[in-house]
Amino acid sequence: MLNLLKIEYEKIITYSTFWVIFGLFFFFTPLVFYGLGQIKLDSFPIDFTTIYHFPDIWNNITYVASWFNLLIGMLLVILVCNEFSFKTFRQHVIDGQSKSDFILSKILLSSSFSFLTTFYLFLIVGFLGFVSGNDGSFLTDIKYLLIYFVQSLGYMSLGLIIAVTIRSSALAIIIFTFSIFFESILSYFVPDAIAPFLPLEIISNLTPVPTPKGIQVPVLAEAIPLNTSLMIAVIYILAFWGISFLILNYKDVK
Amino acid sequence: MNEILSVNNVSKRYGNVNALNSISLQINKGEIYGILGPNGSGKTTTLGIILGVLNPDRGSYSWNGNTPTKYDRKKIGSLLETPNFYPYLSARQNLSIACKVKEVSEGDVDRVLSKLDLLNRADSKFKTFSLGMKQRLAIASALLGNPETLVLDEPTNGLDPQGIAEIRNVILDLANEGKTIIMASHILDEVEKICSHVAILKLGNLLTYGPIESVLNNQEQVVVASENLVLLERTLSQIDGVSRIQKNGDKLSLILASGKDSTYLNKALFEKGIVASEISIRKTDLESNFLELIK
Ligand SMILES: Nc1ncnc2c1ncn2[C@@H]1O[C@H](COP(=O)(O)OP(=O)(O)O)[C@@H](O)[C@H]1O
Ligand SMILES: [Mg+2]
Repeated sequence: MLNLLKIEYEKIITYSTFWVIFGLFFFFTPLVFYGLGQIKLDSFPIDFTTIYHFPDIWNNITYVASWFNLLIGMLLVILVCNEFSFKTFRQHVIDGQSKSDFILSKILLSSSFSFLTTFYLFLIVGFLGFVSGNDGSFLTDIKYLLIYFVQSLGYMSLGLIIAVTIRSSALAIIIFTFSIFFESILSYFVPDAIAPFLPLEIISNLTPVPTPKGIQVPVLAEAIPLNTSLMIAVIYILAFWGISFLILNYKDVK
Repeated sequence: MNEILSVNNVSKRYGNVNALNSISLQINKGEIYGILGPNGSGKTTTLGIILGVLNPDRGSYSWNGNTPTKYDRKKIGSLLETPNFYPYLSARQNLSIACKVKEVSEGDVDRVLSKLDLLNRADSKFKTFSLGMKQRLAIASALLGNPETLVLDEPTNGLDPQGIAEIRNVILDLANEGKTIIMASHILDEVEKICSHVAILKLGNLLTYGPIESVLNNQEQVVVASENLVLLERTLSQIDGVSRIQKNGDKLSLILASGKDSTYLNKALFEKGIVASEISIRKTDLESNFLELIK
């Protein structure tokens, strides 16, 4: 397994798209998060710097970073589609990999991406949280990191299934980007009881919009508890991985 | 056990194209087996199946007598149709990945690069390579780990005459080391110069196979003429050892089984009351034998 992951990193370590997308993530996530804390509204006396405070910071930063999760998902789509357009998937099979090795490699790669981005958030929080002083314990609500990790894996598992089905990067990226949009159209046509359980709904709601201190927002009655969402998301991820394998297994290797 | 590869009644369709029609082949250790046939005859499809990238609709194959696994493929050096590499990686980086996939030592990279005369371009990106260099890199990759068996699909594709000669020498060297080589080609000359055995494919059908001399060489075409061609043809078809009778202008041509000669034919015709106005032997070259076979 370690060998498979090593191969994956050997493929991308000099690939510019990989560095550009991770660069964007590493640069913009803290920048945007810091920027939000600096907002001053004359008409609305909220102290935005409280977003840096423990324990809310965990929810806040994972929410901001989740905007960039789609970017990482897109990177995975590109990397997987490359294997088809360069015919390197075919070559790997010829050279002695199985189709399940291929899927396993991409699962390992996705997991390592999720680990990297999650760990990065941990570092930012450590830095921002401590310099701004905190009024709660560091570990309270750190579960948001785990949730963020699962969400990021979720987007990439969707990316994987789209990539192995479509195989051409351009089309796959378009479909991946618009999939949230497609799903919200779809949700009009399914019963209200089912709509909140659609995969992207579940995955994107893992990082809920934080409720700023001092503002009362009506809590949506039918909101699914976070723990339940988390479980369902994990099931979706496993299913997407499994279906990706079945699709790959069914087709000839082109 | 001497048998390296066994293919049993393998068929493959694409839509309504019958790409392979119940093909069976046995390839033994040390043979240099040419799979010869015009474009579209099913060579790549055959190799794709034995390399695990295409699923046959029917039939099976085995390496070394066992059900094929990915571990067999790690020990076979293969080039299928096109060189497949990451364009943004250097030749050396690409081969290093191939080594990891095949689980062979990366110490072999420089050896194969120098064997294919690519060492001075080892650190150039694959996308900067010419067609011929890409093809040579693909062959270099097939040699990683010094495999006992090689599967090469049109290995001289895209090479200039000098490159073709070099690759042929590389393959002949491998043959002399006792390796088993399965090579697809649409070029008769190439198969003739390199291979010990040949299988001829046409439109997905296996026409004939065996040691190269017996498939391509041993046949002499006999040309016969007589007053009544229709009667001649009917009579010829009753004579033992005569095959592939064909009309050739106002003459008939045929192939005699080995051991039979024109005297035998003349006598046989005479006994049946036919006087041949001409019986001549045309030495056929490989080319025309091949063209004859795939007609
Ligand atoms: N992916 C495919 N889809 C449809 N037809 C194909 C495909 N691959 C090959 N064929 C057809 O199968 C036949 C055999 O092709 P191939 O094995 O590539 O021949 P060769 O390698 O001898 O030139 C051809 O008629 C070709 O058009
Ligand atoms: Mg071919």
